[in-house]
Amino acid sequence: MISRVDLGEFLQAFLGEADEHLTHANAQLLAIDAGLKRGEPVGRQVRELFRALHTIKGLSAMVGVDPIVAIAHRMETVLRAADRTGGRLPNGSVDVLLQGIRAIEQRVRALHAGTPPAAPPQALLDALDALENDAPPIARAQAESLELDPAIAAKLGSLERDAIASGVTQGKRAISARFTPSAALARAGISINSVREKLGAIADIVKVVPIAMTPTASAPAGLAFGLVALTSSTNAAIAAAVGIDAASITVIAEAAASAPVTSEMALLPPEDADDDAGVRRVDMVRVEVVKLDDALERLSALIVSRSRLSIEIARLGSLGTDTRNLLALAREQSRQLRDLRGSILRLRMVPLTEVLDRVPLIVRGLRRSTGKSLRLDIDVGHAELDKAVAERIFPAIIHLVRNAVDHGLESPAERVLAGKSEEGALRIECTAVGNAQLELRITDDGRGIDRVELARRAGAPIPETEATLLALLCRPGLSTRDQASDTSGRGMGMDIVRRVVVEDLGGQLAVRSEIGHGTTFSLRVPLTISIVDAFTFECGAQRFAVPLSTIDEIVELDVATIATGPVRTASSAGTVGVLARRGQAMAVLRLDEVLGLPAAASASGRPKGLVVRLDGDSVAFVVDRMLGQQEIVVRSLADPLVDVAGIAGATDLGDGRPTLIVDLMALSALHLAQHATAHLSIPKERLS
Amino acid sequence: MTQALHVVFTVGNADYAVPASEVAQMESYEGATPVPGAASYVAGVIQVRGRVVPVVDLRARFGLPPQERTLDTRVVVAERAGRVVGLLVDRAREVVLLSEEQLKPPPPMVAAQSGGFVTATASLGARILMLVDVPKLIGEEQPHGQ
Amino acid sequence: MTRALVVDDSKVMRDMIVACLRARPGLSFTHAGSGLEAIERLSLETFDVVVLDLNMPDIGGIEVVEFVRGQDRLKTLPIIIVTTRGDDGSRTQALAAGASRFMTKPFTPESILTEVSALLDAQGAA
Repeated sequence: MISRVDLGEFLQAFLGEADEHLTHANAQLLAIDAGLKRGEPVGRQVRELFRALHTIKGLSAMVGVDPIVAIAHRMETVLRAADRTGGRLPNGSVDVLLQGIRAIEQRVRALHAGTPPAAPPQALLDALDALENDAPPIARAQAESLELDPAIAAKLGSLERDAIASGVTQGKRAISARFTPSAALARAGISINSVREKLGAIADIVKVVPIAMTPTASAPAGLAFGLVALTSSTNAAIAAAVGIDAASITVIAEAAASAPVTSEMALLPPEDADDDAGVRRVDMVRVEVVKLDDALERLSALIVSRSRLSIEIARLGSLGTDTRNLLALAREQSRQLRDLRGSILRLRMVPLTEVLDRVPLIVRGLRRSTGKSLRLDIDVGHAELDKAVAERIFPAIIHLVRNAVDHGLESPAERVLAGKSEEGALRIECTAVGNAQLELRITDDGRGIDRVELARRAGAPIPETEATLLALLCRPGLSTRDQASDTSGRGMGMDIVRRVVVEDLGGQLAVRSEIGHGTTFSLRVPLTISIVDAFTFECGAQRFAVPLSTIDEIVELDVATIATGPVRTASSAGTVGVLARRGQAMAVLRLDEVLGLPAAASASGRPKGLVVRLDGDSVAFVVDRMLGQQEIVVRSLADPLVDVAGIAGATDLGDGRPTLIVDLMALSALHLAQHATAHLSIPKERLS
Repeated sequence: MTQALHVVFTVGNADYAVPASEVAQMESYEGATPVPGAASYVAGVIQVRGRVVPVVDLRARFGLPPQERTLDTRVVVAERAGRVVGLLVDRAREVVLLSEEQLKPPPPMVAAQSGGFVTATASLGARILMLVDVPKLIGEEQPHGQ
Repeated sequence: MTRALVVDDSKVMRDMIVACLRARPGLSFTHAGSGLEAIERLSLETFDVVVLDLNMPDIGGIEVVEFVRGQDRLKTLPIIIVTTRGDDGSRTQALAAGASRFMTKPFTPESILTEVSALLDAQGAA
């Protein structure tokens, strides 16, 4: 019985991989653009781009997205022809290829959103077809005398030889390392993959060549791999890092002591982040954010049971047991849980460079649409931030970049008149603030903000301080142009930037501007945030939030039907009632009593009960009124003064005041434990 | 003669001072969100520039009866060793320059009664200012709970 | 156990191929994400059939076929190429290098199952 295999089920996975390939394609195209402008060969990038489009085409064909296949196929044809000529692209290719990538991205986005992708625009297909390539195939580079095993040398193409030559010119050593796989090594986790990863981390791998040989004792598989790479490290360092014998590394070429740069040698574009990204890709695993959130939730449950453990230990201690060792272990566990939480939160971090990788493309588009000349510098090093923060902050950054190019920077003519260089400068950089925040700065060296003009348009007094200037800029509906320009100036942007950065993320926004010199916008954002779906409710005349995922059910209660059982151990945390639910008895607690809040004056007769489940037992917490459901950003209450059990953090529901987030599971656990402790304080003879 | 700026605030009928370098900002007080289970001298949490900050009610901390807040009530937001904590005071309007020489050790009885909160005194004209130890106020001397 | 080695640098693609071939009973799957990994596996372990993509980084499928056929014990190992339609003569190249079958994407689940089954049955595999 064969059930029909539906390849459409792989759509989501396909979209994920497609996104990766598109990002890679964008990076390669940008590198090609830059390389062509500098007159440098772009053979490697063209080949990479070709491969990316070829893969996208194949995958799209498999899941049945014809519009993408059509675009990718034509782009692939252009690139294959270019690859055959060693990387020569017809004039105007970059723009058309860019449009092609954009068209594919649009359709991938449509699929993400669940809408059918549109047929490809005929104009684009025609433009791609029109890119004819009559460049002659590139001649094979001079066979450099490389000290190489002929079996390996034969496999090196012109691209690889060029790369070796240029690497040597830059002072690196070209080496050939030999790795011989075996079953024993494979069992120890050493395989061609691991060797490649490790070598790739400290060297630039040019080519890996399999070498067949008769099986011997030292080469049981009849196979060895020759890895040709460029490096600045010593053979010993490489051998140690990669896990192979240093004797298996031979130098095949290196710069003479005073090697001059000969003009015949074609220089490849310097290693940039793209190459690193290629290597790092091998180190990476793709994880759905949902899985990370799941892990965090399980960790929260672990933390709750950890606090119950503390209470049990205290109980033991009160019986006279020596609990010092237990206490030490419990403290150790707390520390480990905190570390684990940190590790899991770090899993959600993405490099800032990745977040910003679309910016150069956008700036490129802005250059053309505004006719302004500018240089973009992105200097963010290895900074990372939480994916959720990155997603929210990205549109804000784009808006600020657009603003800077549109309003900030002057036209080349104006700049020259002002004594500035024709080319404007736009800079994005970041610095760490403490260990929980990141400050991102977007600076332009343009005309600065005219406060007088701004005040006039807004009908407001001239802002004196930077704070009032920012407040004025962020006024909703304010536009600094009579008509919105194509790229920005619709007046909606800045107040949304402020809302995202300050209200949503709990960060800070600041502006510094000097007439004639330029403007800097600073965004301070947390490195990680938690966003959860929550119910909001009122209890004891106060508003609270509780994560959706912890609530089993919301029940409507008739106070009259809640009975109170016998009370022998009174708890300061409230009296437990009993309620019938689905034929079973369920414990009921008043949340205002548990939290020590005054009961609300207007307590309704039919309050709501939030039901949580702890170890299979349900407990209902009575609250006054449900307010609604919404996504909230969790701000931690980490300071020891307010780090209390049962309160999982705070959020801002929009009124500028912290609203506490309650952890009902923890409160149930605590209540139970407290009763258990109280129970034991009853003298033995009273127990019947 | 090293001089340092100090923020002066009033709690009850006494004037206190802390180094301005330890004060991040001063805010007016609109009430705090109480945190159940926190120490009795913690008024609750407030939001300052998007950040959630605990507020220590210095009246309670100093053993004074609670008082309705007035227009003068302020939160002195102190920043020490990575912690940001607000100090709720009755009034805070002055910033003064104090030199090393002006700071004198407090009378032993006063220091003892304050449980170590007061670390020095300074006289400003006819007034006495008591220098307080911010870490002690915000509870750094207590061992971290489990 | 009949062992299949699925070689493609796209994980989605490998998963799809496995999904298509699961209908054949007694078939177990090993993944390889590159031609180099495939060569290593084939040299160290025993497989009954290889499903191979041509378009991979570092070392393409054609080279893998050439290398494999160069090893005595792998001369008759069934290799089925599954690759994106390239219009570039790769079919001829692949078959000349010694591939047993050549399929282009997109292919239907039934067609790849039929091809692989045919190859295995011809070998007398279970």
